[in-house]
Amino acid sequence: MASLTLAVKRRFSVSRDYLQDLWGRREFVWYLAMGNLKARNASTALGLLWWVLNPVLLGAVYWFVFGLLFDRDPSDYGGPFLIYLLSGMFPFYFTQSSMTGGVNSIVGNTSLLANLHFPRAVLPIAALVEGFVGFLTSIVAFFLIVGPGYGRWPGFSIVWLIPAVTIHLVFNLGLSMTVARLAVPFRDLNNLVPYLTRMWLYLSPILYGQATINRAPGWARAIAAANPMAPILRMYRYALAGIPADMSNAIIAAGTWAVAVFVLGTIWFISYEGKMARYL
Amino acid sequence: MREPAIVANGVTVRFRPLLDRKPTLRRSLGRLQHRETDEIVAIDDVDLEIRKGEAFGIVGRNGAGKSTFLRVMAKTLRPDEGTINVYGKTSTLLQLGVGFNNQLSGRRNVYLGGLAAGLRKREIEEQFDDIVTYAGLWDAIDRPVRTYSTGMFARLAFSVGMAIKPNILLLDEVLAVGDEAFRTKSMETMKALLEKAGTIVFVSHSLVSVTEFCQRAAWMENGRIVSLGPALDVVNQYRADVERVRRESRDKSGS
Repeated sequence: MASLTLAVKRRFSVSRDYLQDLWGRREFVWYLAMGNLKARNASTALGLLWWVLNPVLLGAVYWFVFGLLFDRDPSDYGGPFLIYLLSGMFPFYFTQSSMTGGVNSIVGNTSLLANLHFPRAVLPIAALVEGFVGFLTSIVAFFLIVGPGYGRWPGFSIVWLIPAVTIHLVFNLGLSMTVARLAVPFRDLNNLVPYLTRMWLYLSPILYGQATINRAPGWARAIAAANPMAPILRMYRYALAGIPADMSNAIIAAGTWAVAVFVLGTIWFISYEGKMARYL
Repeated sequence: MREPAIVANGVTVRFRPLLDRKPTLRRSLGRLQHRETDEIVAIDDVDLEIRKGEAFGIVGRNGAGKSTFLRVMAKTLRPDEGTINVYGKTSTLLQLGVGFNNQLSGRRNVYLGGLAAGLRKREIEEQFDDIVTYAGLWDAIDRPVRTYSTGMFARLAFSVGMAIKPNILLLDEVLAVGDEAFRTKSMETMKALLEKAGTIVFVSHSLVSVTEFCQRAAWMENGRIVSLGPALDVVNQYRADVERVRRESRDKSGS
């Protein structure tokens, strides 16, 4: 038993030196994230605006299909459909971009990994920072759309954005580390992530509301209840749009998910670092 | 005898590359559980001591394990067995422009490359003018790096690589790209490094530059060091072996 504990400890340990080393590399993280952000859109005419345009256009498509073509019960959304849709769409897009960024962060940077010695967690963290900057711009875009359109400007509930964003960041970082680690031996993940995130989008209460979930069969309700995205979106909807939610319940559920995913993902990633170079 | 800079003890590195066989559905599905791999011993129980103040060359055929060995010294590859101790600040130029982003300006890449190599932002700011002057790129520094010529790129990358003021420089065949003026200049920089008790490990196919530049050398073959000693002796042995193999294959094809 003792030897098992020792083996587990050796395999899953994150040393203080590692964390110090990582903290010493914070400027590198920032330059990497900003560099990628800039380079990605350097050759397009609209440039950084695409960070806002991508989720807005996606939202517009869903608004057209599910808001205009299908007849919907407004009580399902606690207000106008567009507000409900965008307040779910933008945070979800941040999680999605953390996953697509994370999955490429290690396997897409082979020359850095082959040549330089640094804490590898720098790479998924930089991918997260890149997505986070985009997410912050999309929150501004949210109010620029629903403000003039529905007279919904930031109110007092906006302070709830602080716990919501904190929990969401922790959750996304854990997720980003997990997929970054997994993609090293399992490159197929790169092709799978777009489908996984698309599936997750439809399983999350973004295009439909609680009333629709309540009408669904038992197994679908069980999936909806187990989805970590559901409490995360409840926090955002209250903070951004004042859509009523049991906040303490949402914070506990989302926070538990975030801590679990973060701790497991980070430890799993870091304990694998020594082996990464071998697969590249 | 001088102090050691790099000490390798029984270093062994194995690779398990995936076999690239004709894909069939059955094999593809089988790979999910059991991957077809083959074990290659890239470095086989190597002991080596490189001292401070020396330029050390490594010669050998393609696939002999030279670059893998440099990656072990750079600590990007952990040996499966054995230990490696490196005493000093290492700059790795196994490849030029590591951490660079071609879409971005030269200015931006000085920061990216410097931070990737382990410098602080403040340290880069202080040296920025020196880095650009050394590379001779003042009129191009705000242009995207993708518009640079190979020589300009190499100059900037080398300049950034030297900015961390290394005691140990690990060089692959990267400095062959610049023009004559740059080669002379980089040679001078490296000589200055050696005079300050720095160490240079140099992997090259250019045997002339190894004999000119290095005091000692090692000849690697199939992951082992087959000969170690004064650079000229080692290079001559290696050259004789290459010549012998070529003659044999010519005789074989002739008869």
